[in-house]
Amino acid sequence: MDMILAAMGDAFTWQALLAIVIGTWAGIIIGGLPGLGSVVGLTIFLPFTFGMDVITSMALLIGVYCGSVYGGSITAILINTPGTPQSAATTFDGYPMTQQGRVDEALGWATFASFFGGVLSCVLLIFCAPQLAKFAVNFGSIEVFALVCLAMLCIVGISRGSLLKGLVCGMMGFFFSTVGSDPITGADRFTFGTYALSSGLDLIPVVVGAFALSEVFVRFSARDEEATTIPEARLRFPNLREIGRRLIELVRGSFIGSFVGALPGTGAAAAAFISYAAAQKLSPRRANLGKGEPDGIIASESSNNAVTGSAFIPTLALGIPGDVVTAMMMGAMVIHGITPGVRLMVDQAQTVYALFVVLIIVNVAMLVLSKPSIGLFRYLFKLPLGFVMGGIVMFSFIGAVSVRGNPLDLVVAALTGILAYVLRRGGYPLAPLVIGMVLGPALESSLRRGLLISRGDFLSFFTHSGIAATLFVLIGLFLVWTTMAGVLDWRAKIAARREPVSPSSSRA
Amino acid sequence: MTTLRYSLAALALIGATHSAMAADHLDIIVPFSAGGATDIVARSFEPIFSQRLGVTSVVRNVAGASATVGTAEVANSEGNPNIIGYEPAGALSIQPSLKKLPYGPDSFTYICRTVSNPMFLMVSKSSDIESFKQLVEESQEYPFLYGSSGPGTLPHLAMAALTVNSDLKAEHVPYSGSGPAMNALAGNEIQIMADTETILENYDLRPLAVFAENRVEGYPDVPTMQELGLAEMDFAVWQGVVAPKGISEERTQQYAEACKATVESDKFKSFADKAKADIAYLGPDDFKAFVQKRFAANKQVLKDAGLTP
Repeated sequence: MDMILAAMGDAFTWQALLAIVIGTWAGIIIGGLPGLGSVVGLTIFLPFTFGMDVITSMALLIGVYCGSVYGGSITAILINTPGTPQSAATTFDGYPMTQQGRVDEALGWATFASFFGGVLSCVLLIFCAPQLAKFAVNFGSIEVFALVCLAMLCIVGISRGSLLKGLVCGMMGFFFSTVGSDPITGADRFTFGTYALSSGLDLIPVVVGAFALSEVFVRFSARDEEATTIPEARLRFPNLREIGRRLIELVRGSFIGSFVGALPGTGAAAAAFISYAAAQKLSPRRANLGKGEPDGIIASESSNNAVTGSAFIPTLALGIPGDVVTAMMMGAMVIHGITPGVRLMVDQAQTVYALFVVLIIVNVAMLVLSKPSIGLFRYLFKLPLGFVMGGIVMFSFIGAVSVRGNPLDLVVAALTGILAYVLRRGGYPLAPLVIGMVLGPALESSLRRGLLISRGDFLSFFTHSGIAATLFVLIGLFLVWTTMAGVLDWRAKIAARREPVSPSSSRA
Repeated sequence: MTTLRYSLAALALIGATHSAMAADHLDIIVPFSAGGATDIVARSFEPIFSQRLGVTSVVRNVAGASATVGTAEVANSEGNPNIIGYEPAGALSIQPSLKKLPYGPDSFTYICRTVSNPMFLMVSKSSDIESFKQLVEESQEYPFLYGSSGPGTLPHLAMAALTVNSDLKAEHVPYSGSGPAMNALAGNEIQIMADTETILENYDLRPLAVFAENRVEGYPDVPTMQELGLAEMDFAVWQGVVAPKGISEERTQQYAEACKATVESDKFKSFADKAKADIAYLGPDDFKAFVQKRFAANKQVLKDAGLTP
């Protein structure tokens, strides 16, 4: 108890609170600007932390991190352009709601779901970090392979409209991810002898091109003034009854995010897609998903913000960073003389508890700061459309190049933008492209590592462990279920065709 | 149409900001993303170094392709006295032998080596293996798996050299960094890993041997490879500063003096102590000879292990 009080004392200093407010607010803005995401935000703020004490610097960085994951949803909802890859799934329902004039409701749900996911994952982090870390360690290459297979299967359903078009885009994303160094042998692939390509295609430039730039192109080419105006950003929080009605969705999204975040090498973008796929199978209002259903926003935003807390589970319990962002945080801890590792929770208990407190305050700060931040975006989007679009183009390119300082990424962003515009004109969905790029590398390297571990025996994947076996059984059930549903659907259609057609339905 | 014009103006703005550059401004390229192990040392090195040199400096992270993209940028800036690279061992002494790169070991002016940490051969503390001899014996029946932070990295090379030069039977499984490899070791997906003291201490592992000439301070019970009756194997994770080729002798001397003063400063020493990085300064000539020696040795290992033709 003394320890917790002391930790509270560390976290409730004016420096730490100021750092939280500045960090969170800056994070929301940075996340909301297309192209600038968590990594860029942290890179900007990292040098400032060198002169601070450890809690203040962590408070600043955690604020930027959590804020940016939430901020990405604002532009995803307002202009169909996710500010960060983590919010790509928020566009599925967020933008349709905007088109229906329900901006306030969409932003309200995104904000509340982000807060809920963030807090729930903090609670899990505080109470079950060692247990969850132990469980995550059991997720070896073969288990990850099974999980990614399951996720990809579920996600196939995300592509609305033509399944074939969705698959084409998914494979394209998967192919993009194979450019560069082979993860197992290190050999160059698909570089056509061009050295610049050997570093591969990064996710951020592709997302920037696919969503932000293509959106700008679409708005340029639209003749109709109505389609290009951006609605005024407003925020209306859901009331208690509405929250109660969708509580199960919030809890499911948060748990999926917390779980995926605790696994190494996955991250918030994958969590959001997996959670959205789960909502598509399990939400009572699944028929409306993709047409402007708050459940879709909840699935995406609660899970990606749940990752912010749970990514710290392997970092704090084992010293193993769950993603790039926690790897950067670990670096910042090392600068202050705290070496994350298996003994961190014992040796530095007070610091760890203070971090927990900071995480919770950051989530509360996010809720409080959401209103002024959205107000700022409302002001920004009131500018003439040319300025807004020019700004988007500018920030997109800045974001694309600042991830790893490689000028090639500018070309990648521009070309992806043009490609995505053509694809959108042809009615191809772009989300599968991003999903392919997010999950493709995980699928490939886990399969190939699994084969190295099992000495080339694929059949032993199924009997490798209880977790793997369970996941493969789920995959089997899913396939059977989908096929059955397909057959039933097909039969119903045939039956309907035999029925005499009434004059009113023939017109529709 | 006005919308298009504004966007073009914005694009032009981006271009303009890039071309502006002052002469008393130094770019320090770190070929990894911000926040990584090398980046942190570089960022602690940078303020002291630039103060000694009397310039304003900026750390630029140019990441990708096993740190070769950033390294290539330094090599391609031939004759530019306003750019240096803070380089890891792999990009200078391994990668040029592995694949076709726009640079080689002769593409740089070597300034100094800053830190160097010997690598240990280690297993999980939960395993019952206590010695290298036992490890070799148990590997005969069923080969072990060793992890690495990626193909062609130092942990990979050290283990490849060990399997070639001893009776140990083990196969390689690369991961995307030390973190995921440690996760795999904790879950017994792999059994062996070669890495530095930082990893050893942070993850509470058991060292069996050290890839160095002499025993390491603080680990008096850990034998060297030679003591185990094997050929000399010297693998260490080191970092150093390089400048492009074609800069003046005077500038090289300025860099070298600033570097020496930096690594000898109390501020850098106390940081290195916290980050468990062993300061191991080498001046321009010694560093050049050292890189060339390591380059040749690593090339031989890659060849012996069948990783390059």
